[in-house]
Amino acid sequence: MATLEAPELGTETGNLPDFTTETYKDAYSRINAIVIEGEQEAHDNYIAIGTLLPDQAEELTKLARMELKHMKGFTACANNLGVTADMAFAKEFFAPLHNNFTTALEAGKVPTCLLIQALLIEAFAISAYHIYIPVADPFARKITEGVVKDEYTHLNYGQEWLKANLESCREELEQANRDNLPLIRRMLDQVAADAAVLHMDKEDLIEDFLIAYQEALTEIGFSTREIARMAAAALVG
Amino acid sequence: MFGLIGHSSSFAQAQEKARELGLQEMAEADMLAWCSAPPQLLETFQVTSRTGKTIEGTYIDSCFVPEMLSRFKTATRKVQNAMEMAQKQGINVTALGGFTSIIFENYDLSKFQQIRNTTLEWQRFTTGNTHTAWVICQQVERNAPLLGIDLSQAKVAVVGATGDIGSAVCRWLSQKTGVGELLLVARQQQRLQDLQTSLGGGTILSLEEALPQADVVVWVASLPQTLSIDHDSLRKPCLMIDGGYPKNLDAKVAGDGVHVLKGGIVEFWQDIGWQMMEVAEMENPKRQLFACFAEAMLLEFEGIHTNFSWGRNNISLANMELIGNASLRHGFQAIGLNPAQLSRAAQGGVQLAAA
Repeated sequence: MATLEAPELGTETGNLPDFTTETYKDAYSRINAIVIEGEQEAHDNYIAIGTLLPDQAEELTKLARMELKHMKGFTACANNLGVTADMAFAKEFFAPLHNNFTTALEAGKVPTCLLIQALLIEAFAISAYHIYIPVADPFARKITEGVVKDEYTHLNYGQEWLKANLESCREELEQANRDNLPLIRRMLDQVAADAAVLHMDKEDLIEDFLIAYQEALTEIGFSTREIARMAAAALVG
Repeated sequence: MFGLIGHSSSFAQAQEKARELGLQEMAEADMLAWCSAPPQLLETFQVTSRTGKTIEGTYIDSCFVPEMLSRFKTATRKVQNAMEMAQKQGINVTALGGFTSIIFENYDLSKFQQIRNTTLEWQRFTTGNTHTAWVICQQVERNAPLLGIDLSQAKVAVVGATGDIGSAVCRWLSQKTGVGELLLVARQQQRLQDLQTSLGGGTILSLEEALPQADVVVWVASLPQTLSIDHDSLRKPCLMIDGGYPKNLDAKVAGDGVHVLKGGIVEFWQDIGWQMMEVAEMENPKRQLFACFAEAMLLEFEGIHTNFSWGRNNISLANMELIGNASLRHGFQAIGLNPAQLSRAAQGGVQLAAA
């Protein structure tokens, strides 16, 4: 067996950041706002999708309510650290994705709406929460651990609907992937510096997001080659 | 179902492979993008044993490339994520190929069992080292005599003797093969002394001391790029088994009485309907593969769903024999010196006789 030089364990490995510094709180004000805004948008989006799928409206309302509960939890996290979330930043952050969702909604495109909300946003949230948990303050850690379990339920909802309807919406999904995945990549780029202050690594975030997204695409029924092609859109561009 | 976790042998090769698979974006993406690339399940294929039994396997590319070795977190993540993917696929036994098991072992990843919401079950994985060690011993036993080397009189150097594969090879050669003298070469003195005690013999030497004496050299350590070997000082004939990863010994020393064999490579009795070994630069990629990958197949053929090879220095002679017998039964054969090498060896013999 070959041998490697012993790795230098980076200082960030296993170390928690200092939650009390101004630098931390400043970065947290934007990351926390994104999370709160994300949960709010998720709530609104599920209600909106319910208008296109009246027979699912009740189930979707249930999902939407969970998102509001999450939002309250994350608001408490900011209060706990004495941070005011920068909501203006977060609104702008979500605007491109929000606009694409609104356009799809107006055109009655359920698959695109589900891809944006139930796959992309949920996978984005799941990966970010997973990476945040080990470096979160104890209060936020507990709340986030509870939330991440719920988000899998939401990802699952979108998966199941799209799986059942894949043959009729395959092309639309591929187009929606091309239109929206690069936006997720840009969003990750935009928060990379703030995330780094929270000891969350951009490389980790992208890879974990793509793993969750790829798993969803696998469940829906795309082939491994199709998935690799679709995911590649997030790595470049 | 068995699994193989592999990777490209360089960044350039990974890009080339992406191009062949029609992943144009990945082919053009830079190294940073590859650092964030998730593992990919590239193919599923069937393998039929000589006994007639057919099993199904899956190849997962971790998207690791050796250029990432200097990035501890990236390399670690690639290995862990590929293992998580294999487990989520429900694969019974997955071999950690190439640098995968090396990273796992050297970065002590057994300490990190939780990957997101998945608890890795170690019994689903194998380093494949038991089969690799057995294959390397077979390669020594079969090819040394072809070069006129009498193993019962020969000095056999094992470079990397204290490693998982190296120590198993030492045990087999001293207790099963019965070689003239075992030369033990490794970096850590304490481990060398422990090994010598457990073997009840063997001579501890530095690489520089061991090479000029050795009739056979088994390399199971990675070779530093800067390593230079003085060809003239080597014994002729000399059989070198390149069991390290990557295999880069041939260009350094082969020729003029020094015969280099790719170590730990097996050939299957018939073509396997896969594409992935082409990237490993095998001479016959439809049939040849790393012995560690073959171990996963053997465990699946035999229904042995445990982490057969795991940790350091746990390889027993009994397990080597068990996997070796299975290897032969199911149609694997350790690759040997090719006809061109043997003919060169024969010519060398004639010249020596004439002299």
